[in-house]
Amino acid sequence: MNAFFPLWRRELATYFRTSIGYVAGTCFLAIAGFGLWRQAAHLARSAAEGDLVQNLFGTPVYWLALLVATPLLTMRLFAEEQRAGTLETLLAAPVTETQVVLAKFAAAYAAFLLLWLPTLAYAAILRQCGANLPPVDWGPVAAAYLGTALIGAFFVALGLLGSLLTRHQAVAAMAGFAAAGLALAGGRLPFYAHTAPFREFAAAVSATRHMADFAAGIVDTRAVVWYVGGTALALFAAVRILEARRLR
Amino acid sequence: MAGAETLIEADNLVRRFPRCEALGGVSFQIRRGEIVALLGPNGSGKTTTLRILATALAPTDGRARIAGYDVTFQSLAVRRRIAYLPENVPLYPEMRVEEYLAFRGRLRGLRGARLAERLRDAVERGGLGDVLRRAIGTLSRGYRQRVGLADCLLHEPDVLLLDEPLAGLDPAQVDAVRALLQGLGPDRCVLFSTHVLAEAERLCHRALILNAGRLAAADAPARLAQAGETTFAEAYRRLTTPLPLVRNPGQRRGA
Repeated sequence: MNAFFPLWRRELATYFRTSIGYVAGTCFLAIAGFGLWRQAAHLARSAAEGDLVQNLFGTPVYWLALLVATPLLTMRLFAEEQRAGTLETLLAAPVTETQVVLAKFAAAYAAFLLLWLPTLAYAAILRQCGANLPPVDWGPVAAAYLGTALIGAFFVALGLLGSLLTRHQAVAAMAGFAAAGLALAGGRLPFYAHTAPFREFAAAVSATRHMADFAAGIVDTRAVVWYVGGTALALFAAVRILEARRLR
Repeated sequence: MAGAETLIEADNLVRRFPRCEALGGVSFQIRRGEIVALLGPNGSGKTTTLRILATALAPTDGRARIAGYDVTFQSLAVRRRIAYLPENVPLYPEMRVEEYLAFRGRLRGLRGARLAERLRDAVERGGLGDVLRRAIGTLSRGYRQRVGLADCLLHEPDVLLLDEPLAGLDPAQVDAVRALLQGLGPDRCVLFSTHVLAEAERLCHRALILNAGRLAAADAPARLAQAGETTFAEAYRRLTTPLPLVRNPGQRRGA
């Protein structure tokens, strides 16, 4: 794995050297901040304590933040290298396709996790604003962040795959958005097909249902396997597509 | 160089794309210490040949070896022994020159004192001392070319594959690149493509002339000229007269 760390470092540094990291960060924090503002308004209006974790994770605003931020982080990964031709010189160096895919994924995923760092302060901000919040129950908080990390890894892997299929960043972003959107829409299948197998399938793959469980402090192994497996499959497909480029 | 080790071996290389045949069975050998020019009109297969040797493209048929390693089945071993500079010199514009070269060195397994030593040598040979801390995106075409060449020299590869290394350079820069390539010594070989016949004649030991995906000639420029009792440029023109060859069977006549 000699080449992994130089590749990972360069890739992660690019988020800070180019505008894309700041654009993704701004979009994410604006949307997540809107979610926080809604929660603060809700607390002020009803004076109900509510469940802070469930009101911040798994809401439409939460999904919007996830769906917007991940394609922005992943669209450049391969599309830009293909457009500029740097992928050819990169792969003329003694690096394997697996190292390249893993390093790019690890960098985009690290950037994704960095985006979530400021949200750790949300409870403290609400308290500062005078909200009467119960003591933090760390179990659901940890589970919600674990769920976000798992779903985020899957979405980042899908975005990376989208970026590999085109040399246009905008198309890569749309592909990543569509793939993550489809993965999210899987849980909506029973609304369109009312048969038992569809219902069972939808229940098993529903990101919204998984997130509701995580936010309630329930870590379902099936959900963990689904996202880890989905991420691994997307990365495996990316490696094979990258290897096959020599045959085109 | 007659008894020197063969570093590049192409054996009946064929490369077909969905709409055309870029190489139609090209064979040649290049020995350690040789500087060889790959010449031919646009579309004759020069870049395709270089890309196959650089493991960026798999041959449809035939095989190629670099230092005895098959480019298709032992591509990682091949990539440890080559340096490849594509025509448009792709670099990362947001990186500084010194960062980029250090990054490329690390990719090739160079670390610590060895990396620092190789960086110093490559920077000196490339004449990059003045622009080390400049972002690559702000450099002129000539400097970008030099950065690409310095990158190629970092790990002291056996084989340098350079696609149009003289394109877009001013005369002084052409002189510098020529001196750099000639100064590489007998330990490695260079295969470079170019359209500048005069430079090829001055720089190379042998010229491989491709025409419509086939090897039309492979010899020293002086001998090629002598054979036709002409100049090298005239010999080149004679050898690269477009062949009456239908390269794309699916394409309509006259299209």
